[in-house]
Amino acid sequence: MDGAVKRNGLAQAASGQARTDSSDPTERSSAGGRLVRRLASLRLTLALIVLLGGGVAFAYLREGARTWPLVVPLVLLAINLMAAVMSNGVFRRQTALLVFHLALVVLLLLVAAGRLTYLNAHVGVTEGVPFNGELSGVDRGPLHAGALSSVHFVNKGFHIDYAPGLQREATRNQVAWQGPDGRWHDEIIGDQKPLIVSGYRFYTTFNKGFAPTFRWRDNQGNVVRGSVQLPPYPMKEYSQAAEWSPPGSALPIWVLLDIDEIILDPAEHTSFHLPEHYKLVVRIGRERHEMHPGDSLQTPDGTLEFEGLRNWMGYRVFYDWTLPWLLAACTVAVVSLAAHFWTKFTARPWDA
Amino acid sequence: MEQELQVLWVAVTAYVLAGVFAVVGVVLGKRPERTVLSLMLAGLALQALSIGLRWARLGHGPFITMFEILCSNVWSLMTAYTLAYWRIPRIRASAAVVMPLMFIMLGWLMVAHPGEGHYPPTYNTPWLYIHIGLGKVFLGAVLVAVGLSCVILLRHAGIGLQRFAQLPASAQLDELAFRCMAIGLIFHTLMLIAGAIWAQDAWGRYWAWDPLETWAFITWLTVAFTIHARLAYRLSPPVHAGLVLAVFVTAFLTFFGVPFISATPHQGAV
Repeated sequence: MDGAVKRNGLAQAASGQARTDSSDPTERSSAGGRLVRRLASLRLTLALIVLLGGGVAFAYLREGARTWPLVVPLVLLAINLMAAVMSNGVFRRQTALLVFHLALVVLLLLVAAGRLTYLNAHVGVTEGVPFNGELSGVDRGPLHAGALSSVHFVNKGFHIDYAPGLQREATRNQVAWQGPDGRWHDEIIGDQKPLIVSGYRFYTTFNKGFAPTFRWRDNQGNVVRGSVQLPPYPMKEYSQAAEWSPPGSALPIWVLLDIDEIILDPAEHTSFHLPEHYKLVVRIGRERHEMHPGDSLQTPDGTLEFEGLRNWMGYRVFYDWTLPWLLAACTVAVVSLAAHFWTKFTARPWDA
Repeated sequence: MEQELQVLWVAVTAYVLAGVFAVVGVVLGKRPERTVLSLMLAGLALQALSIGLRWARLGHGPFITMFEILCSNVWSLMTAYTLAYWRIPRIRASAAVVMPLMFIMLGWLMVAHPGEGHYPPTYNTPWLYIHIGLGKVFLGAVLVAVGLSCVILLRHAGIGLQRFAQLPASAQLDELAFRCMAIGLIFHTLMLIAGAIWAQDAWGRYWAWDPLETWAFITWLTVAFTIHARLAYRLSPPVHAGLVLAVFVTAFLTFFGVPFISATPHQGAV
């Protein structure tokens, strides 16, 4: 080693190179060491924590710009930590402290992976009708590989009680879902107990309402059954109407559910239920019709039969495969932090 | 409701007497520590009874209205401080600083409306108790640190040098305050994790930048900053004490301010 240093020194003298010659491995290594030590600085950590605090405030205030104000300080903090691990022997000797910080880095990587592959969406499923994989309000990460086609479930009805003042209590929604083995299972889910199929989580929401169900026979004799989800009830109690067209037809059909009873009395303890006294007002062009379950209506494109009323439930759909790993990383972080301080503080009594 | 409020009033009276004895003891150089501890314990027992009566009447714990949140926080903060007062006799004179701080919260509690609020379905989960319980331990640890920090700052300002002589040197108080902050960091981290699990259950997401979540994370960063700053700059006790106070102010705004000015799922309005 000494010989190498001497040889390098001689070589430098012979060539007349400046001391900052970057081709010198010793110099380069010490310059690299200095850089790592600078990157490992605790003062830099402090500055980066402040920067992250600013990023959090920015992300909170500017919903549209939540990525870079957070990513930049977090990546810099990760570099700062890695440099500290490389250059600070004391840091490496305190295993619990090291594990805590590394767990924070793993947490960061998992959050990043989650943001790249997540999915957030909504879907309304009518009672007795299988979920068809069509979502609304979809928000997904750029790398989300959808496996939604493997999700099969049926909404089998729900029960919701209301306290006076129309205060919604727990939702109990019965669903049947198909497992990977092809067998069907029954389950009760709710706002806080999701149905989890193929990693997708379906939570019930406050969105639910009524769905008139129809049988449509077109002029070629094809028969299709389907339902129209009316706006959420009781949120849009006074606008229970929707416009749609039957399959294979451009005929605009407007329907209004006219309920002749109080479904949810704000003054009483009540439960959400289908109305018993109601009629369906149907407008096709200038024609107005009133329909009851079993009634049919002849239109230029086919025959519309009103079968009756069902419920629909609005679900929030969430997918993030990192959830269990996030929890594991959090657990490791907290346990190691507690172990570090425990070791530190038990060395000297509190009342010393 | 009358009965639980009457019991609460007696509890508050016990706390006030404990505070008065603590202050008078420091001013006169006396040590009425057993009296102060007894009054604190009596106040805690009576307040627990009052909370229990209300819990039994309404069927839910004290975490919906401002009155309930204040009441449960006064109880948990008093529990944390009483525990420190009992287990670390050398810091007992700090009660002369901590109890007047508690008087502010007690006064706020007494003017808060004790009417009942709506218990939302998303609150019907064990994670509520875990999340809130962890948050209360965090705030309790920070309160003890604040008491010690206030003594350090008073001494630094030349106030009460004689009267706080029975307390350890500022360097030792600073070390104890640091330990409390470390405990606070652990429990705040646990509170964030429990809150994320609850949020996933309740609202189908573990994080959504709602005001309380954001402020709770900012509070976590202030605690992390304080701990790193003490290590990086070998801060003097008064400077570290100032940072501890800043953490307490941030935590106080987060716990008591944000839930009442935001209309987010954290309020249970879903």
